[in-house]
Amino acid sequence: MIRPRLEVLSKDEIEEIHVRSLSVLSRVGVEIFHDGALKLLRDIGAEVDFNKKIAKIPEHLVNEALKKTPHTVRLYYRDGKKYLELKPGGDTYFATGSTGIYYMDWRTNEVRIFTTRDAVELAKVIDALPNTHIFGTVYLSDVPELFSDKWFDYIALKRCTKPFENEAREVEELRDRVKLYAVIVGEENIGKKPITYFAACPSPPLKWSAVTVYANLMEAAKYGLPVEIIPMPQTGATAPATIAGAVLQGNAEFLSGLVIAQFTRPGTPILLNPSPVAFDQRYGTACIGSIEVGLMSAAFAQLARFYGVPSGAWITVSDSKVVDIQSGIETALGTLIAVLSGINIAIGAGMFRSETTISLTKLVIDDDIAGVALRFGKGILVDVETLAEKLIEEVGPGGLFLKYKHTREWWIKEHYIPKLLDKTSVEMWKRKGAKDLVTVAREQVEKILREHVVEPLPPDIEKELDKTMLEIAKKYGIEKLPPLPQV
Amino acid sequence: MSLKEELFARLRGAVLSGDPEEVVKLCKRVVEVGIDPLEAIEKALVAAILELGDKWIRGEAFIADLVAAADAMKAGMTILKEEVVKKGKTVKYLGRAIIGTVEGDIHDIGKSIVATLWEAAGLEVIDLGVDVSPQKFIEAIRQYNPDIVGMSALMTTTMLKQKETIEAIRQAGLRDKVKIVIGGAPTTEEWAREIGADGWAPDAISAVELVKKLLGVK
Repeated sequence: MIRPRLEVLSKDEIEEIHVRSLSVLSRVGVEIFHDGALKLLRDIGAEVDFNKKIAKIPEHLVNEALKKTPHTVRLYYRDGKKYLELKPGGDTYFATGSTGIYYMDWRTNEVRIFTTRDAVELAKVIDALPNTHIFGTVYLSDVPELFSDKWFDYIALKRCTKPFENEAREVEELRDRVKLYAVIVGEENIGKKPITYFAACPSPPLKWSAVTVYANLMEAAKYGLPVEIIPMPQTGATAPATIAGAVLQGNAEFLSGLVIAQFTRPGTPILLNPSPVAFDQRYGTACIGSIEVGLMSAAFAQLARFYGVPSGAWITVSDSKVVDIQSGIETALGTLIAVLSGINIAIGAGMFRSETTISLTKLVIDDDIAGVALRFGKGILVDVETLAEKLIEEVGPGGLFLKYKHTREWWIKEHYIPKLLDKTSVEMWKRKGAKDLVTVAREQVEKILREHVVEPLPPDIEKELDKTMLEIAKKYGIEKLPPLPQV
Repeated sequence: MSLKEELFARLRGAVLSGDPEEVVKLCKRVVEVGIDPLEAIEKALVAAILELGDKWIRGEAFIADLVAAADAMKAGMTILKEEVVKKGKTVKYLGRAIIGTVEGDIHDIGKSIVATLWEAAGLEVIDLGVDVSPQKFIEAIRQYNPDIVGMSALMTTTMLKQKETIEAIRQAGLRDKVKIVIGGAPTTEEWAREIGADGWAPDAISAVELVKKLLGVK
């Protein structure tokens, strides 16, 4: 049985991109706005100019770093038992889009800044959905700015059992935040059973900001937490207009991050999770639902396989401003490309208006799209039983397959049953209220929020988590934790 | 067609095709033959960039073309301005603006597009670059005496610096001398109000309309 696979680069082309990435790193280098990272690179033999903040990284450092990089990364659920296994060319999992700053209220379609209450709703729906596996970080505006990332930790840990993505918002040590994870999985398991991973986005072209390289890359690596390196080339703006050039530049950025991470702590789990965008020269917009994003993501996934690291991509986000046909088309194409390219984390569920807004209505639709694509990705099982020659003979010309055991056994195995996509007859559809997909999706959100129960943390752990969180909150002038709303 | 008209037409063409070498060559010729440099600025350089800016707003031109044209225009401006100064006159702009990405933020593109469009709209723009500290903004206000101060931030974390920078400008006693406008992906109109900015723009086109409104021009 073969799994359907999509390849957009030949073996030679991958090698060419690799070799030229090394050339860019050693000749042009990367600009890093953090002396600690520059010192680290100098100490291991890179050519560093501290005035210009440029580090030129020779090929042998990249090769050494690649040798230290694990091929498989596991992301754990809150219980420390269940996990997602990410390996090159392996299964695809789905993450909600990050980092949303706006939330579309599913009741009114009003778009507003993200609040704690919205994040709690989002957590509950993610927890309930079968094909949404990771809680992408959001940006909360109802708590103090520099406290918001820790507050997101707290919401994700309390109100969702699934792994979550993370981002540090200030140049700081992660010591306090790691305490939160220790409460859940135990001190010894912070890096061994990671329940979260950190987002490190270089600023193209070839630049690293201090908060990214220090807090999200080096600090996370220090604790053995996985780091997703996120090259974000914008075709024709912050990267070459050509797909190959944009991928090459992004790959060089990825490799520079990989070197910093592996020489900070050998064995740091790394994900190549690009967020390439098509820069629209007409409007000056960074478009993430464009088909070229699919091409670039597929190319990055092939590079990830070449390096033996898991990969992800911001590939299921839409540029549409409403939940409509465009949002469905862009997300569906990206989702299918992700599965066919063997991308391990398809990122963007529920996200639209480019990388800004989360809608629960879109999220439940996207979950159904993910189910459809995952089914396609499984391919066709061909053996004596599935070929069913005997059965065809038994039923004979003009017969019906309905009553046979083979049918009852295999139909359910061979088909994905969509939750929301309508497969009824016109008459049934009319009787059920003649609703379109968006209406059905909104009702599904309401149903999940009404019926789903997120498994609570064991009381002693919850108490400990609250206590640890309060200690952090006090540093930001919050003397009492606001209770999380019931949604 | 007179020599002047011919040179102006060729100059407009060179700006539109984003060819700084040709623009420089033609501007030198303008000076040589004694054509009024102010007229050349207005009827050739600025006219061309305004034409392209309008085209872009209508979706008929690409940003890359506009940026290249603005570069070509600037190359010509340097030569013609020198000549204007020699004649004891000054170039008339809609106003003067300084612009930069705030401290801690190294994102260039949004700020640079706005700077280009402002130039295309007839403003004199001084681009302070990225990672600009409050102190640098203050020094630039003292040095250039601008009408408009533009601050960009792409990240939610650095957005805070906009507030800090405005506060620093206030403390330096310069707040009333300038109109401050902010922008960047995470910013909102409410944020602009909260931190006491004079205006906010959600995208580059609105940023042009915004400064025109603040400068009282149509």
